[in-house]
Amino acid sequence: MLQGTLDLMVLQTLDTLGPVHGYAIAGRLEQVSSGALQLNMGTLYPALMRLEQRGLVRGAWGATETNRRARFYSLTAAGRRQLAKERESWDRMATIIHTLLRGDA
Amino acid sequence: MTPLTTLLRLLREWAHRALGEIRPARRDDDLAEELRLHAEMAADDARRRGVPAADAERAARLQAGGVSQAMEAIRDQQGLPLVAGARQDVRLALRTLRATPLVTTVVIGSLALATGANTAIFSLVNSLLLRALPVREPQALVHVTDSVTTDAGVTRVRAWSYPQWDQIRQRPQLFESAAAWSFVQFNRSTGGEARFVDGMWASGSYFDTLGVRALIGRTFSPLDDRSRGGPEGPVAVISYAYWRREFGGEASAIGRTVRLNAVPFTVVGITPPEFFGTEVGRTFDVIVPLSTEALVRGTDSVLASASTNFLTIIARVRPDQPLESAAAALRASQGAIRHATLEPGAPSEPYLDSPFTVVPAATGYSNFRRDYQAPLLVLAAVVALVLLIGCMNVANLLLARATARSHQLSIQLALGASRWRLARQLFSESLMLAGCGAALGLVVARFSGRFLVSQLSAGNDHVFLDLSMDTRVLAFTTTTAAVTALLFGIAPALRAAGARPIDAIKEGGRSSSQRTHGAMAWLVAGQVAMSVVLVTAAGLFIQSFASLVARPLGIDADRILVVTMDSERTAVDAADRLSLYERARDAARSLPNVADASLSFLTPMSGGGFTPRVAVDNGAGDVRVSANDDASGNLIATRWFSTFGTRLVAGRDFSDADRTGAPRVAIVNERFARRFFGSTSPLGRTMTAFAGLPFARRMTVVGVSADAIYAWPHEAVPPTWYMPLQQLDLPEFPLSIVKLSVRAQDGPPLLLRKSLEQAITTVDPHLVLTFQPLSDQWHASLARERLLAQVAGFFGAIALLLAALGLYGVTAYAVSRRRSELGIRLALGAAPRQVMRLVLARTSSLVAAGILAGTAGSVWGSAFVAGLIYGVPAADPLTLAGAALVLVAVGVAASWAPARRAGRIDTGILLREN
Repeated sequence: MLQGTLDLMVLQTLDTLGPVHGYAIAGRLEQVSSGALQLNMGTLYPALMRLEQRGLVRGAWGATETNRRARFYSLTAAGRRQLAKERESWDRMATIIHTLLRGDA
Repeated sequence: MTPLTTLLRLLREWAHRALGEIRPARRDDDLAEELRLHAEMAADDARRRGVPAADAERAARLQAGGVSQAMEAIRDQQGLPLVAGARQDVRLALRTLRATPLVTTVVIGSLALATGANTAIFSLVNSLLLRALPVREPQALVHVTDSVTTDAGVTRVRAWSYPQWDQIRQRPQLFESAAAWSFVQFNRSTGGEARFVDGMWASGSYFDTLGVRALIGRTFSPLDDRSRGGPEGPVAVISYAYWRREFGGEASAIGRTVRLNAVPFTVVGITPPEFFGTEVGRTFDVIVPLSTEALVRGTDSVLASASTNFLTIIARVRPDQPLESAAAALRASQGAIRHATLEPGAPSEPYLDSPFTVVPAATGYSNFRRDYQAPLLVLAAVVALVLLIGCMNVANLLLARATARSHQLSIQLALGASRWRLARQLFSESLMLAGCGAALGLVVARFSGRFLVSQLSAGNDHVFLDLSMDTRVLAFTTTTAAVTALLFGIAPALRAAGARPIDAIKEGGRSSSQRTHGAMAWLVAGQVAMSVVLVTAAGLFIQSFASLVARPLGIDADRILVVTMDSERTAVDAADRLSLYERARDAARSLPNVADASLSFLTPMSGGGFTPRVAVDNGAGDVRVSANDDASGNLIATRWFSTFGTRLVAGRDFSDADRTGAPRVAIVNERFARRFFGSTSPLGRTMTAFAGLPFARRMTVVGVSADAIYAWPHEAVPPTWYMPLQQLDLPEFPLSIVKLSVRAQDGPPLLLRKSLEQAITTVDPHLVLTFQPLSDQWHASLARERLLAQVAGFFGAIALLLAALGLYGVTAYAVSRRRSELGIRLALGAAPRQVMRLVLARTSSLVAAGILAGTAGSVWGSAFVAGLIYGVPAADPLTLAGAALVLVAVGVAASWAPARRAGRIDTGILLREN
């Protein structure tokens, strides 16, 4: 996995799904990658902790639809700003890489 | 991405980690719970997908990973690895230290005492010798003096007369600014018993020169420095402490009136709390402009006198002005200044010659420094030695424990811990111990520092030293803690780093114990050596103090109350003052429980001296003139000797008939008689006081008194001569202050105070009185020697205790290590006595080596204390032998019990154990 992309993916997932727990995030990423991306806890939770410590996401205990206890993560205002910024720089980078690889320039 | 943004990102990452270190985001159990629930959901999903229940969990584990691995990963990215490591070290160290609470308490307690004592002495050294005055740019301040001389290693700063200050003041081009000041005690009561406050005369430029601003109100300026006061009349600036004490810290203190020697002054300002004046060792309550001295003292003013040197001159050099050029400029005007202030009739040669100069004044002026610099440095050495001895003990304890733990350490090594990791673990224990010791030591230092300063104050002479913690003191304590940790932590840490994994397999890791024992033995020998030095020092200081206490005074100090009578505020003419004093004396004599009373210019042990030159005619026209001050004088009234209980060995006492106009007479002490008259009787011979001066007085010796203490108990009784107070007819002697000495019939003389005050105020209510028992003065004059004896004695005892513990420890350890060997010897038929001898022989060789080294150290160190010791030679063989004996006794006492235990080893039990 490209370094630094995990944070972006987690932020984007939270933006799409709204408040969800860690297992749901992992599930979502597995689903959109058609099973290519299987995150274990040792990868996912350090990222969540990091984002939480930076104030980009906020975690709170709540109950799932099956009435299980789980910790729900949601984007903060700073998280939303960060997401916009990273998305933009990702797009730019992707364009550059794309152009470079196709040799269009 | 540019390198800069990479760097910024990295910095931010570490900042976040550091932040996480300070406030950990979440508790571990909370996290673990979340991970457990995640795993559960994964298992549920697996079941729903149709995986058999038994395998679901495994499948989930495969997919989501283990909880503990995830926890580890989270911890790794949270916080700083180094800090986390240190944290772990601290946790481990705490656990080990808690496991042996007694050892830990003893170690921390002794370290607290030793570090505390070191910090206390250092904070005294700091405030007396090192700390700069709390004023603006103290480095630019200089003292004006002439020939630079040092006294006990301290630069002497000359005092100046007012006319000389006036000359310097009139030359503003010399310095950026200059100021003059003097210490003075003001009396707050208007008659009867005096109530003193510590004050200063200071020129109008004083505060500007120092750059000190008022906390409230204003300081005074040259405008206020007029003899009748400035626009607001006579003004005073008071200290912060006095403001709190006397005015309760009310802002309304500004504008209030304080009476100083009955003269009203208006309070115009309060100085900041940290400002204590310019004299280290003293503080002030009030500062008034120098010129108001004339107003306060009236006809007794010394401002016009060119021979009364009482002012310290402090100046601020200009930023572009090096010290040498300031001194050169001063010397250029020397001739003019000297000639303008020359006293008529005074010997002029040395006065004109000694060159003006300036010396750095950043640390202020101090009389106290001269008396206490050497003792403080000696005490600093004493407490440093105690700390070293304490460190060695702690090192021994830790070394013994590291050996006891060597098995555990070997296992840790075998399991893959690095040597560095083990050494760090043991070292962090030492660091924790030293840290705790130092923290407690700061508390100890605070109290013991204050105690030491209070031991130095006596009577009306308040010693003030600013002992507040500054960065220098804190740095000292921190360094001390670090160095001690290094000292006692290095041996066990090295020991741990040298542990071998193979020892884990062998029982107890016995192979390396011999090396450990060697290190411990060296440490104990070192302890003994340092203890010898400390015990010798304690012995010397205690003997010195005891010999001063035992010195015959030649007077009955316990029976006498000295009343200082100040007649400056009375309406009596200078010429009639003596008869006023005589009336006061007669009133005192008539009181019940007063055995006798007499008047004098000086009293013994007041610290002052009166040493005009005397010439003695030894009969055959051979005149001997006293050198500088080898003959001391006093002016006394009748019955002075009977009041003090000093015997007259020949001739007669002064009588009321010895008045002005009658033939001039004198009494000399036996020492004077021997020194100037040899074996012939001095009675009927003549001597001349003030020899060589226009007012020389020729007197006939009519009596010889026994030798009695003069100014200090430290010096031998000087040749002393007395002349009748009633025959003093010199206008140079205004006699504004005279001492009335009252001898009590029985009981403490201080009980006479109330009745004396009443009787004397009846004679004249404006006489200002101070009462002081003579024994208090005697006590105060020995303050320095008492302090040295107390502190050296206390720490000498501590050193002995520590050395005994060390010896006991090393012997007991050796016995326990050699238990099987000794047991085998016993089983093979050795007598218990032989086995004991075997054990004791090793200890005695350690003690002997220590005593040898310590004695050599003491002899070397004796040169440094020679000036502080009286009545014993500094390298006293008896004291050295005594110290050695004490250590031998301690050595025997400490190793006796373990040695006996060695002699009683039960071979039966030993066999069963192995």
